[in-house]
Amino acid sequence: MTELLAQLVTWINVPVNVLGKALFGFIAVVPGWLSNTIISAVAGVVLLVIFKYTSNQRAIGKVRDDIKAHMLALKLFKDSISVTLRAQGRVFRGAFLLLFYSIRPMLFMIVPVVLLLSQLGLWYQSRPLLRKEEALVTMKLSGQADAALPEVGVEEANAFEIVTGPVRVAAKREVVWQMKALEEGEHTMRFRIGEAQVEKEFVVGEGFNQLSTKRPGWKWTEILMHPKEEPFGPDSPVQSISIDYPDRSSWTSGTDWWVVYFFIASMVFALLFKPVFKVRI
Amino acid sequence: MLEGRAGEKSRSKTMPVKKRKLNLRILAPAVVVVLAWASTAQAYIGPGAGFAVMGSFLAMFAAIFSAVVALFTWPIRYVIRAIKHRHAFARAKIKRCVILGLDGLDPNLAEKFLAEGKLPNFARLKEKGCFKRLATTVPSMSPVAWSSFQTGSNPGKHNIFDFLTRDTRTYMPKLSSVDIRGPRRNITIGKFQIPLGKADIRLLRKGKPFWKTLGEHGIFSSIIRVPITFPPEKLYGVQLSAMCVPDLRGTQGIFSFYTTRSEGDGEHTGGERFFVTMANNTIKTKLIGCSSPFRKDGSALACPFVVKVTGKEAADIRINGETRHLKKGIYSDWVKVAFKAAPGVKVKGICKFLLISTEPEFSLYVTPVNIDPEKPAMPISYPTIFSTYLAKRQGPFATLGLAEDSWALNEKFITDQEFVEQCTQIDAERETMFFDALDKVKQGLVVCVFDGTDRLQHTFWRQIDPEHPANQGRIPEGNVIEQLYMRMDQLVGKVVDKLNDKKTLFMIISDHGFSAFRYGVDLNRWLEDNGYLKVIEEKRGQKNLSAVDWSQTRAYAIGLSGIYLNLKGRESKGIVEPGDEAGQLRDEIAGKLGALTDAQRNQPAIKQVYNALKIFNGPYKGNSPDLLVGYNRGYRASWETAIGQVTDKIFHDNTKAWSGDHCIDHSFVPGVLFCSRPVVTENPRLMDIGPTVLEMFGVDTPKSMDGRALAVVEPDSRKATGNK
Repeated sequence: MTELLAQLVTWINVPVNVLGKALFGFIAVVPGWLSNTIISAVAGVVLLVIFKYTSNQRAIGKVRDDIKAHMLALKLFKDSISVTLRAQGRVFRGAFLLLFYSIRPMLFMIVPVVLLLSQLGLWYQSRPLLRKEEALVTMKLSGQADAALPEVGVEEANAFEIVTGPVRVAAKREVVWQMKALEEGEHTMRFRIGEAQVEKEFVVGEGFNQLSTKRPGWKWTEILMHPKEEPFGPDSPVQSISIDYPDRSSWTSGTDWWVVYFFIASMVFALLFKPVFKVRI
Repeated sequence: MLEGRAGEKSRSKTMPVKKRKLNLRILAPAVVVVLAWASTAQAYIGPGAGFAVMGSFLAMFAAIFSAVVALFTWPIRYVIRAIKHRHAFARAKIKRCVILGLDGLDPNLAEKFLAEGKLPNFARLKEKGCFKRLATTVPSMSPVAWSSFQTGSNPGKHNIFDFLTRDTRTYMPKLSSVDIRGPRRNITIGKFQIPLGKADIRLLRKGKPFWKTLGEHGIFSSIIRVPITFPPEKLYGVQLSAMCVPDLRGTQGIFSFYTTRSEGDGEHTGGERFFVTMANNTIKTKLIGCSSPFRKDGSALACPFVVKVTGKEAADIRINGETRHLKKGIYSDWVKVAFKAAPGVKVKGICKFLLISTEPEFSLYVTPVNIDPEKPAMPISYPTIFSTYLAKRQGPFATLGLAEDSWALNEKFITDQEFVEQCTQIDAERETMFFDALDKVKQGLVVCVFDGTDRLQHTFWRQIDPEHPANQGRIPEGNVIEQLYMRMDQLVGKVVDKLNDKKTLFMIISDHGFSAFRYGVDLNRWLEDNGYLKVIEEKRGQKNLSAVDWSQTRAYAIGLSGIYLNLKGRESKGIVEPGDEAGQLRDEIAGKLGALTDAQRNQPAIKQVYNALKIFNGPYKGNSPDLLVGYNRGYRASWETAIGQVTDKIFHDNTKAWSGDHCIDHSFVPGVLFCSRPVVTENPRLMDIGPTVLEMFGVDTPKSMDGRALAVVEPDSRKATGNK
């Protein structure tokens, strides 16, 4: 089942990557706060419309009206403790019902939202290495924990130099290098593991770029989270290769904060357009 | 058999049980999957969960916040209330009083149906408590009677003597209970204006309702749709206004009728007919709203809508961006309509659509546009949020004072069945708010009035009166009135089952009874024939007394029971000297009119004519008509008299659907009193109910009240409180 999911996600990532590159290419040329705001706005409105047509609007409307009625009852009949307690209980009940009625649209939205966020993560989660900046490259190998680690090496290239390594951590079946970026641009690191050869792309430069922090193994969750590069197959000696890119510092488009900003901005725009599309949330 | 289909309608709104179970079977595992998903994925839930979380989070936050506030403040408020109203309930014999008003419930018919075993719940109440006739007011009509009920006083103290009164300057008829005027000041810019301030709406009923007195003693009241409570007054409790609440156009209800049938276009009594054309099964037309507050000429606002006929018995209507599916003969739900008054400014109302026919001609009936209770354009409840609360609780409901559109039936735009359905739906709304009041008010007063009993008896009396002119010689069919009484009996049963409580006093009252209205009496014609009124011949037939030559008129009639003297110093063109001349004229007219006989049928038309100065007392008796006509059974003021039109004869057959009435001599149409406890007092009166309730709550009856507390037997005791 998990293998099937891994394959499915891999297939889905192909057109999604193409679409993502086409739609989000403008992130590279505009300020981060602007690009995230635009994307949040569009996403918020689109998801609002999806919510409208996948949720039971009538039921949600009824629950909202009930909640409002009971809130008003608290004021109208405030001198009656029994009415007050009953009304508050009904408001709580209404709150849970809203959550319940939101599950179906959430199930519809979860896949496109996850795909969207994984694409945006490529741009915002980290920043590229600057020239002469160093980063750790970690390769996780397949096999049993107590098995010997195979011979692993990195092919030399002009774009980078190995400062330290390889450091072998047998218990974790990891091999780690510290590398220094030398040339700007999108590059490929080539590794040898025994007879096999694998690649990992990396980016050096300034501004916004699509960065694959990890080339994933054959796990559907990792493939989903790191969609850009083709995953290592189930029989590959390598499980994953990750590059420890530096964090981006920004409240709107920086590491981890971009998700928060996206969440808030998309909700704000959704709320603004709620009366236009006549959606009840 | 004509029965409403409100029950069917409500059933169609709920999801079938099978589908609910299927949804749960799908959703439950989905919930488990989502919640069990790897933790990293939770970061990607994003706006989807955001909508879910936000909606319920805000509600949860509001609940917690209000709970905290209530917990902290309720004890303080309790102490303050305990000190301020320390005597509340101190001498009370009951914890709660519930008064169910069934407007127009007739004791003769009640007795008949009781004897036939058709009213088992009324019978239970009668057996356990009492059933008596309840004397009504002079004149015996709802605005007067319910005002006397509220204030416990005669009309001379509450100032309501009829539905209509006249403007003493212009002689134009106007509502007697409310005065609505636009904002006093406007900023004028060309043909536009900007109103400064709100409309001036004044309740003309004087006196203090007994529930206000209860409130002063810390006893909470819920007053639902008691007539003559518009605009609503401040009280310790909640109130929803009733009779005389206007529609959005500021009238007492104007319906709209759209048809492709070309004859008979224009205004009709109570409504407007619009000729429309159909192209490709589509009709584009508009709903007329209120006058624009921003235009000096007061031109009406309009809300365009499109109807697309989709089948023999179906059509789609698109209005304000929403599409509704209409089926022939079935009322739509309440539809919210918005009239654009200015950029960003809309006046909102609600109405129902009824598709009458699609072929060979298209016909569509639209109810009067009611004020939207969720966002009322004028105050229709106290506090203002009470109508919003009810609307949120149960959905939109009729707010128009005279909500049941009997004129649409009178003018034959809707059928009997369609009118019954309208009344039934309105009663169902009323029942919901009534039972909500019973749930919310466990101590205090609950009063709720149902109007359907009045409207349906007015319009279907012809079914129980085979000789009525409205039947035009045919044998009438149907038993709407019997069905009505049985439906009310079911309501009573539900209420009795709910009030299983010895500390609650339950009363059912009606403001008057009913009788046949077979023949209309044109009082102005009689006055003219007897030399009291002069008509400008070329204007004969015009309404609003505009055909009257005031320089030669000593008395005139307007409304449903009143005759006014054209008094100098009171009327702007008065010619009758006050004092002796007026007194003699009153006696003379009363004497002559009292002897009026319908020669064709050889029976008296009038039982008695009352001199208002002699039967009323109080500061407002001078505002009453000078004479009040107590018609004999079968007779009433003609339709033309009510609107100040002088016809060519005195007696007119009443052939309208409105075939029953109560605006006759009060002795013929007492109301009913059912009570959950025996009432010993003989000959109780409607104005005694208020003092009785005060007495039961241990509150002294104000001296201004004319009514006296009835002697109510306490449960498990033979002792009766009040006046025997």
